[in-house]
Amino acid sequence: MTTKDIGPKNPVEQGVTQVVDFVDERSGVKNSGRWLMFRNIPAGTSWFQTLGFTAMALFGMQAITGIILAMYYKPDPNTAFGSIAHITNEVTWGWMVRGMHKWGASVMIVIVFLHMGRVFIWGAYKYPRELTWVTGAMLLLMTMFMGLTGYLLVWDQKAYWATVVAVNIFASAPILGPYIGDILRAGPEFGPDTLSRFYSIHMLLIPGGIATFIGLHLYFIIRLGISEPPWAKRALRVQRDEEDARRKAARNREAGLKGSVSFPPAWVDDEQEVKR
Amino acid sequence: MKKADKVAYDKDYAAAKKDGKPFFPYAIYKDTIIAGLAILVVIVLAITVRVEMGEPVNPASTDFLPRPDWYFYFAFELLKIFANQNALTPVIMATFMVPNILIILLVIWPFIDRGPERRIWKRPFAMGTAVLVISGLCYLTFLGASTPEGIAKGETLPLTGLDAAASAGEAVYLANGCSSCHMIKGVGAPGPGPELTNEGAKGWDNAKMVQWMKVPVAPMPSFASLPPEDLENLSTFLNGLGTKYK
Ligand code: HEM
Repeated sequence: MTTKDIGPKNPVEQGVTQVVDFVDERSGVKNSGRWLMFRNIPAGTSWFQTLGFTAMALFGMQAITGIILAMYYKPDPNTAFGSIAHITNEVTWGWMVRGMHKWGASVMIVIVFLHMGRVFIWGAYKYPRELTWVTGAMLLLMTMFMGLTGYLLVWDQKAYWATVVAVNIFASAPILGPYIGDILRAGPEFGPDTLSRFYSIHMLLIPGGIATFIGLHLYFIIRLGISEPPWAKRALRVQRDEEDARRKAARNREAGLKGSVSFPPAWVDDEQEVKR
Repeated sequence: MKKADKVAYDKDYAAAKKDGKPFFPYAIYKDTIIAGLAILVVIVLAITVRVEMGEPVNPASTDFLPRPDWYFYFAFELLKIFANQNALTPVIMATFMVPNILIILLVIWPFIDRGPERRIWKRPFAMGTAVLVISGLCYLTFLGASTPEGIAKGETLPLTGLDAAASAGEAVYLANGCSSCHMIKGVGAPGPGPELTNEGAKGWDNAKMVQWMKVPVAPMPSFASLPPEDLENLSTFLNGLGTKYK
């Protein structure tokens, strides 16, 4: 990089540079940031590969709208429904924040499923990305569980009884079922503590799990690199070259069997190509 | 995958990367556009389709429609598929076996399909599985969205021969949302509970039926909060269905 010295910098710029340099000296953030941003990805990367990032953005949006809702929501059986009504009808922009959180959940689930579908159809879960898939599967389950626990929080009849049924289903599982039921209900029956337990699971436990697993997921993605679309121009060219080589090898083998030994070295090379 | 396949893949991917483009800006700009669109869709939905308030919870009133959010409809429909079999094991199929098998398959899938092939048209097994799972999920979700949620207010059951106790039992049945999970002579939701048109054929006595109402098998919730005489009448009604009351 060439630098053009055009005299002393203005004090603000100087200050910023000093702070950045101070942090960089201790963390090396400039180098790793540059590596992260400007590392190469396969050239044919497609629009389908934006879905994971979109899921992440939606998770961020759910976190922000959720934090705002938590400022007004009261996780107590006597006040929960009223506080939701307050958010919906009285708080400025409250209906909007609630609407975004509710619709955001549905859209996030759709996007996560589409993302998983793209990974599946491309075979992007194959070596070396098996663990990226496994961490992703955990993210899917946790996302669904967010929907389940959030549903109860509005504390209306439909959600309440649907959750009673859902918890009954968990509790009916052999061996561990009864314990899981008790843990979810905060006791053998739906009671006053059930709602605050669901609230805690919905806004602390699972989001923490999702954030952790997004971290793991991203670690694998960045370490292994994003896969190339199966139909990328480069991949197709390589495949075509391989096909050609295979055909050539077959032709040469035929020729070789007939006793014509015109170019044995190429024959040996092509054999190798075929094994691969 | 064999060692040679792994080496070949690593070599091929390194070549793809070498011919590649920097993450910033080539991937980032696409990511930003699609994520922005998704958030825009959420905002538009939030404005145009307002979220409503339901009825506040009243644990004493069991007049309810236990319906999950749409993304659990497939699980709900699964319950219905196994609802009309009599033994208890099939319920376990829908509540435990099938979901857990699906979850395990989901998690270990990369260790099942390990071949090096990535081209879509060369992986008939994986693509067949994808088509099966996707169409199955869509179909069940569609079913869940389109089936009736029970019965309308004021609708009655097409039964004859009810005596006083059975009539009282029918009223309890209708008032407590039983028909949002059970069907009698074509009236009510076709699941997740089994059809009750011929419930009397089981030959249960009232004590057994009352006990069931208090401690049923999941996913049915408990109705222990109902007054004893309501439970008694309800049991008389149910134990005569298909035999005395047709
Ligand atoms: C909250 C949910 C999820 C988030 C935030 C997320 C995020 C991401 C991101 C940002 C990428 C980078 C490439 C792209 O956007 O396509 C990615 C790739 C990947 N994801 Fe996810 N993901 C989630 C769920 C899942 C699920 C459910 C699966 C599968 C079970 C999965 C499997 C994968 C795999 C295997 C890759 C690597 C694909 C490749 O290299 O081509 N992810 N994910």
